[in-house]
Amino acid sequence: MNRRRWFLHTALVFSFLMASGTAAAEQDPMWPVPGGVVLTLERAVMCESIEAFLPKNQGVIFSISVGRVLCFSAFSVVPRETVIYHNWYRKDQLASRRKLTLKPPNWSSFSGIQLREADTGPWRVDITDERGNTIKTLRFSITE
Amino acid sequence: MNGVGAFLFGIRWQDIMDILINSYILFRLYVLFKGTTTFRVMVGIAFLWFFQRTAAALGLVMTSWNIQGITAAGALIVVVVFRNEIRSVFQTTSFKAILWGFPGTSPDTPVEIIVQSIFSLAAKRVGALMVIPGKDSLDDLLQEGIPWQGIISREMLHSIFWVGNPVHDGAAIIKGKRVSSVGVILPLSKRDDLPLNYGTRHRAAAGLAEQSDALVLVASEERGEVVAAKGRQLMVMRDRAELEKMLYEHLGKPLEIDDAQKNQKRNLILAGALSVVLISGIWYGITRGFDTLMAMEVPIEYAKSDTSLDISETSVNTVKLHLSGSSFLLKSIRPGQVRVRANISSSQIGKSRIPITLEDVTLPPGIMLKKVEPPFVEVVIAKPTLKVLPVQVDWAGKLPGNLIMADVKVVPEEVQISGKSDLLKAVFTVYTKKVPLGDITRSGRMTVDLVLDDPSLNLTPDAKKVTIHYVVQKRTLTSDLHGEKE
Repeated sequence: MNRRRWFLHTALVFSFLMASGTAAAEQDPMWPVPGGVVLTLERAVMCESIEAFLPKNQGVIFSISVGRVLCFSAFSVVPRETVIYHNWYRKDQLASRRKLTLKPPNWSSFSGIQLREADTGPWRVDITDERGNTIKTLRFSITE
Repeated sequence: MNGVGAFLFGIRWQDIMDILINSYILFRLYVLFKGTTTFRVMVGIAFLWFFQRTAAALGLVMTSWNIQGITAAGALIVVVVFRNEIRSVFQTTSFKAILWGFPGTSPDTPVEIIVQSIFSLAAKRVGALMVIPGKDSLDDLLQEGIPWQGIISREMLHSIFWVGNPVHDGAAIIKGKRVSSVGVILPLSKRDDLPLNYGTRHRAAAGLAEQSDALVLVASEERGEVVAAKGRQLMVMRDRAELEKMLYEHLGKPLEIDDAQKNQKRNLILAGALSVVLISGIWYGITRGFDTLMAMEVPIEYAKSDTSLDISETSVNTVKLHLSGSSFLLKSIRPGQVRVRANISSSQIGKSRIPITLEDVTLPPGIMLKKVEPPFVEVVIAKPTLKVLPVQVDWAGKLPGNLIMADVKVVPEEVQISGKSDLLKAVFTVYTKKVPLGDITRSGRMTVDLVLDDPSLNLTPDAKKVTIHYVVQKRTLTSDLHGEKE
């Protein structure tokens, strides 16, 4: 229940573009933001959908038939209001850039892309802070 | 005199070979086609070509065009009209004879036996028809016939034309020492000026003689005389000596052997010398005749022994070559025949000035290099840059619908590549070869090759393969690896 409450307190910020995420929900590093405060990334994954504020069917390969793919990121410590970016790359070429706002004390957000046939291939999402420093890179593939 | 000296001094061994080979080809053509209509027409075409070049040089534009057209048409006509003659020259001559043989070295036709036989047949009032081919092919003129290939003898010729023999009415074809075929039907002459007492046999002899250079001998059944048909002439042979002389002349072996051989040798030497003079003149006209200058922009290629060296900067990418030679050769230069290859093997890392020398320039024969602009090129040579990059799997195909690839781990996660720094700037990930998903139904691992899009980039030798550890889960279950459920 605590978990559900925690998500209820967060605002979901979306975009309509897609992504995939690493399945590993490793303990994410703390990340300093300007002003000496620290962002702590709790979790970042690629998934097919969000249900009950949780990523569903997270993975590293997504079929076009799924329709869209999402990048979910959850920060457990957000000292002050700031922004992060989800930068979507297909074969190292920037395909989409999403600006997401984080609010204290913790916040989750996601972005996504709609899948088309031309999107097959290796992808990655770089999650960066407001200054462009990479917090996390998620690698995944779009297939037939 | 200096000019002549410089010209003679400038002749290379390749030029001499060039002249000798082409002179020999011309000489062989003379030997093979001498006496044929083709040869006479070819000489005519050569004269036309000479007139055309003269007209062009004098600025007679229309005349030059006209002669050029006539020459081209003439060459085509030679091939079409005289195709049989050309074919017969090559078909009836062995490869060795085409390259080395001279007239008169072919097997001797037994003239005396032929003469004795035909006079003997005529005396006995036995009709006979014998064909001794010249250089023309008779394939299209002769019909039917039975292959014989018998070595000529009086007895055999008598038996062929014996009235009881089924083939006695046809002609016998004599090639060298053999009767090659018998019972052959010859084309009849359509002339209306032949004597009325000449029958079908004479008319056939005249017909073939008119259409070829063959000598046809007829033994008359009614009058007991021997008639020789050559060209448009039908000549009654009064005695054996007259026929012998005619046969020897037809076969290229006149009776006065010594004088004839001397004459023939003299003719061949003269033809050989003329061939050399003619080809030398043409060679001079093509290669040295008109000294022309031409400038050409050529890209620079760099040769280096250490492939890891990286040329990061050059002062110019092309050089302008000032070339001289005959206008014919300069106009004939094809792309790729002129190359500039600067050798930077001995250059140090950093900035170097590389001179472009004559040795660095490749030119077609007969073209001289006058000047290179600029005479040097400045290059900056750098060592290749190293970069450590993450590895990502390039999946292809489709997983079964009930499965999801939950996690993938690549070992090693990163590899080192080397290459030009400007190329490396644009590379952020090293991908594997396409890995098919079709056969994957459960978790496992596999080893795959890495690929680099740019062939000038290199992977370190120990990092050309990676191992993929993958985790597959059922889609129906929650795919949250950590079971994050409330």
